[in-house]
Amino acid sequence: MILIYAVVVLMLLTAVTSVVVRNTLWAIGSFASSMALLALLYLTIAPFLLFAVQLLVFTTVSSALLFGLLRQTTGLESSQEPFSREWIIGSAVAAALLALLVVVVATTSWPVRATENAAAGFGATLTNMYVVSLAVLVVILASAALGSGLLLAAPRGSMKSPAPRPKGTRR
Amino acid sequence: MNAGLNLILTASAALFAVGAFAVVARRSAVLMLIGTQFMFFGGSIAFVAFARFGLGAAHASAGAAVAIFAGATAVAELAVGLAMAALIYREHRSLAVDADRG
Repeated sequence: MILIYAVVVLMLLTAVTSVVVRNTLWAIGSFASSMALLALLYLTIAPFLLFAVQLLVFTTVSSALLFGLLRQTTGLESSQEPFSREWIIGSAVAAALLALLVVVVATTSWPVRATENAAAGFGATLTNMYVVSLAVLVVILASAALGSGLLLAAPRGSMKSPAPRPKGTRR
Repeated sequence: MNAGLNLILTASAALFAVGAFAVVARRSAVLMLIGTQFMFFGGSIAFVAFARFGLGAAHASAGAAVAIFAGATAVAELAVGLAMAALIYREHRSLAVDADRG
């Protein structure tokens, strides 16, 4: 139980760090740490396969994509000042959401069943019971890969809106 | 009431709130996308917690399966979002999503 507490606290600290720091490189590093700690949390409450997928696939791919974007850009430092108007509004929205969810969690008497960690046979369950979901997931991932590739291959200037026509001209 | 379930649900809510803060408060496309990732994974934690501790799951591994699907969807969203961010950077030499404003 102490391990779960420690992992949860560290995960939330790194998550807050990643959205607060000005340096994007540090933000991505904190994000990767947070995802790795989430994988550790999964290790304590979920099948091992979920821990492995979270750590080796989701964390690695997300961090690689973010670092790949940073290699194409030079936007390491955010120009946004801390404690600006957007920060106050964002803090208010986040605090309201958190308060609402915590009140719901604290006041609801969830029915609890003591189950063992379903580690055995999770892979087989995934491929037997969720075949259609896996197929849909493959379609989604392929579409995302194709779409992002097409976006990156778009010629420069294709995002700009067309220039207004001079007065007196007709189509 | 269960201390384990409540603890993990509270962590899930906190992670979701952190993501919401990033989406609302930050102007950098990268940080907004990181925020959406946190929101996705905050929801996934709740699914896993209910499957582990709650009565709702028909199968004990259903929550983990949902977490895998949600995580993969989040990665797909990140890939498309980062491609759009790269396009924004090409046009405006900035990763700020409101670069047109001023």
